[in-house]
Amino acid sequence: MTRLSLEHVSFWYPATDTPALADVSLEVAGGEVVALVGAVGAGASTLLLVAADLAPRVVGGRLEGAVDFRGRGNGEGGRGIVLPTPWTQVSGMAFTVWDEVAFGPANLGWPREQITRHVDRALARLEIAALRDREPATLSGGELQRVIIAGILAMDPALVLFDEPTAELDPAGARMLWRLVRSLAAEGKAVIVATNDLDALPDVADRVVWLEQGRAKKIGPPALLAEDALCAAGLGTAVAVVWRAGGLPRPYPLTVDDAVRLWRHR
Amino acid sequence: MTRLHPFTLLALAAALVALAWLLPAPWGAAGTLAVAAVLALFSGAGLTPGASPGSTGTGMSPGWRPGLVVLRTAVVTAAPFWLFLFILHDVPTTVALGLRITTMVASVVWLVAVLAPARLVEAMVAAGWRAGTAYLFAATLSAVPVLKARAQRIVEAQRCRGLSPRGGLGPRVRALRALALPLILSALHEVDERALALESRGLVPGARRTPLAPPPDRGAERAVRWALVALCVAALVWRLA
Repeated sequence: MTRLSLEHVSFWYPATDTPALADVSLEVAGGEVVALVGAVGAGASTLLLVAADLAPRVVGGRLEGAVDFRGRGNGEGGRGIVLPTPWTQVSGMAFTVWDEVAFGPANLGWPREQITRHVDRALARLEIAALRDREPATLSGGELQRVIIAGILAMDPALVLFDEPTAELDPAGARMLWRLVRSLAAEGKAVIVATNDLDALPDVADRVVWLEQGRAKKIGPPALLAEDALCAAGLGTAVAVVWRAGGLPRPYPLTVDDAVRLWRHR
Repeated sequence: MTRLHPFTLLALAAALVALAWLLPAPWGAAGTLAVAAVLALFSGAGLTPGASPGSTGTGMSPGWRPGLVVLRTAVVTAAPFWLFLFILHDVPTTVALGLRITTMVASVVWLVAVLAPARLVEAMVAAGWRAGTAYLFAATLSAVPVLKARAQRIVEAQRCRGLSPRGGLGPRVRALRALALPLILSALHEVDERALALESRGLVPGARRTPLAPPPDRGAERAVRWALVALCVAALVWRLA
């Protein structure tokens, strides 16, 4: 079932003439993980804001085209977005991590038992149950990032949008996050993630959208990340980029396993 | 003191300010200031590190020290008012207005020190206020400590880049300029980010929040609040009579 549909969407930030998104069309189904890749300023974050119904409603600016979300607004059954800077997403109204994660569900007006159930589950999924009584201000950047993600997941959104979710995480935290993304999709949630962690995408993403100057230049399976054009743009996986830099023949391998296989068959 | 219901703390601060202006100067204002000073001195009682997010008490040792810091903050904030009053008015007017203004400042500084914004939100939501309105009140209370912490981080960053805020007037002015611009710009930028974050976490207009841990509102505290209102009304009637 299509959860989100963008049709010929263009978006201009306030007081700008150049669109941050230009004629982007994309459909995302429940149970699907779509990765947005591109250089800085390519429009990935803007696409997430549009998908989250924050642009232009909160951000301002002008939108053309059609955005169709099949869900229930924000929160439960709706849309949840994890922004790239965790310290600006803290409510500032919580004594403990548990309260911070419960901030969103409480704003939805859920009964207390439902809030408790969802918060405890989110804390467990993000592997931060041990932090539940800590004050948010005392957390490290990585811990805070997990808390913010838990806060969004506790609201049980049907469409989850991640903007650079691994930026504050250590390698183990990043691996945990990617496993979580796959498990969200397995539950039937639609997930869109903007990331520069390109090496993780072959195992995580169902589709990859290559954005350049606000346009969706190419949409395809993760194998896209081993194509010559993306490697040339610095958007290939590390293995593909090294293979290409070594002057080895195409097709470029996407992962280490692919590289080993190709090398043995040379 | 931090265990008192947020509405009681608000009522105390508001009553002190009202009485400072209603009662005859200078003795009335001197009395309210004395009460405000005593409250400020005791503001450390029961305050644990982090109990009041961003408050002046965070990270302090227990005992008198938090109260002294609150009192000092109030005195330092009120001092410029005394200077301007002294330039503009005669001594009796300066004393009368100065005591009233200092009461206002001391009451607000005490309130910021003892009232945790999170508890205020919980109390307001439990009393039937909308979450957005409650958050607006609480965010206003926490704005000063948040800006103070941010300014401290910027000063440390500027120090790392060789700019010293110490020394003569020249270096201090240069340091102030280097502090002010990043402080204002980062605060404005964070407003945008925070608006997005709060929207995405369900704090939308009309949201009916579930109170997670509403502070207990005892009958005695409610009585004290009504008594404070009655006291202010009585003072007003007395002054108008």
